[in-house]
Amino acid sequence: MDSESAGRDDGVWALPYTLASGQTQYHELGQVRLWVTLLDQEWQVRSQTLGADTDPVTWSQSIGHTLPSADVQLQRFIRSGESETVTFIPAVASLPTVIRPYHPVTIPAGGRCVIYVGTVVWMKVCVGESQSVLTEIPLGTPSLTWVGRNTMEGELCYSSSSFARLVLEAVPKRPWRAVTPVTIVNRREEPLLLERFSLPTPLLSLHLNDRGQLWTPGVTVVCETEMNSASLNVDTKLLPAAGVCQRVGPAREEMARGRLVRAFDRIFG
Amino acid sequence: MSVVTDIAWGTWFSSLFLLVLGLVLGSFAGRSAAKFMAQRSTRHHTVMVRRLVFYLIVLLFAMAALREAGFSLEVVLGAAGILTVAIGFASQTSASNMISGLFLLVEKPFEIGDVIEVDATIGEVIGIDMLSVKLRTPDNLYVRIPNETLIKTRVVNRSRFPIRRLDLTVGIAYAEDVERVEKLLLGLAEQNPVCLEEPKPFVLVTAFGPSSVDLQFSFWVPKDKVLDGRSGIMVGIKKALDREGIEIPFPHTSIYAGSHSEPFRVQLLGPETIANKESVDVDQDR
Repeated sequence: MDSESAGRDDGVWALPYTLASGQTQYHELGQVRLWVTLLDQEWQVRSQTLGADTDPVTWSQSIGHTLPSADVQLQRFIRSGESETVTFIPAVASLPTVIRPYHPVTIPAGGRCVIYVGTVVWMKVCVGESQSVLTEIPLGTPSLTWVGRNTMEGELCYSSSSFARLVLEAVPKRPWRAVTPVTIVNRREEPLLLERFSLPTPLLSLHLNDRGQLWTPGVTVVCETEMNSASLNVDTKLLPAAGVCQRVGPAREEMARGRLVRAFDRIFG
Repeated sequence: MSVVTDIAWGTWFSSLFLLVLGLVLGSFAGRSAAKFMAQRSTRHHTVMVRRLVFYLIVLLFAMAALREAGFSLEVVLGAAGILTVAIGFASQTSASNMISGLFLLVEKPFEIGDVIEVDATIGEVIGIDMLSVKLRTPDNLYVRIPNETLIKTRVVNRSRFPIRRLDLTVGIAYAEDVERVEKLLLGLAEQNPVCLEEPKPFVLVTAFGPSSVDLQFSFWVPKDKVLDGRSGIMVGIKKALDREGIEIPFPHTSIYAGSHSEPFRVQLLGPETIANKESVDVDQDR
């Protein structure tokens, strides 16, 4: 990168940045400030999480020689080989994410809808040509919640409040949020009040389009009789609106049958 | 000399060889089984399978060794039965512990790796053996508890379920607005990432104490974040109440020794007043 002194550029996923020994690459994205430093024998990663009330829009990065104050958390990694490149790979949340609309949506009997959901991604700091992972940083502060029939049976999930937008254009596209179209089909004879649902994020892969936006395959939830017996299917293709995409992050978990059955049970909590 | 030559050394050596072979093979098979299970099962089941495989193989080879040595298995088993009764009477405690251990394995109130509380001892289970259960306490002590004790006494498994509820008692001054404090505490739980959103945290007024209104602040945390949750939120409560100017009262103690122990009044009189001096006494002031 030649922008050492020229200020900041936009950060890009899955693009190898080359650093010289002693240089530090600084990133500001989501609620995170990140410093990656290359030294002769080691990599240093410093990160700081800002308050949840900050609402940045862009991902900016710059390369220089400035380090933050000593109270910023430091992680050190031994450099193996002569690799001088660092790549940032997005990753989906490691736990399912419970989406809770600020205002619950009612789907009439026999109706269907598509809700566009944005979920925070994790940033994998990878170095070298083999892209070995040094560390993984959540780009938002995830809060936890419990989904299950009672406090004995169920699973821990991340929680995300959502506006449950029905129009794709209205969904804010942030570089640290992945958009998932969720189709909910209500085949019951009663209306379905959608107060929250569990999105199986570990089963979703991440795809990057030419505008720097992250997308995951769509998810279809079909509610046949009871809410607990809803079935879930992860689409194999992306939404056409995503445009031409390259896959940048694999799903964390294989789509095993056992895992899916659990997801079915707990899709609506 | 004939005594030495009369002994069938070959038979005994082959018996001994079978026994040693059984131990080696049992150990090897047990370790292989443990390695296979480690990826697929819990630590508890891995250890159980490893021991089962080991003892099974050793038992088979021991029986083969006895046969090789010329013992009839029927006689051996009969002798073992009589011996068991005799040993059982002689060592009731050990037998009781062994049987209790079997019940523990079947009932499975805890597994290796669980954190349990027995009487006043809290610790992580690091071994469930024939006679006793071994714990490692948080201050890194090794505690051995006989199986019989575990069957008889109340055992609390602190890590059985994935989430735990923490109940904190917060006392506030009588002059404070309880609803405002309640809102503040719930806001703290919402901001702290360790506190679960659901089940929802809640605040109860539990008592009008001698010097404070006592509130119970309850919230849920993942089982591995209990210490972080408790300590972090208590620091948060103190900071938030200080910031908002809400008083956390503490009991005040006044010592009153009664009127008879009041100090004597001392008055200095000049020479001109000595002639007209009045009798000064504490009781006169009343």
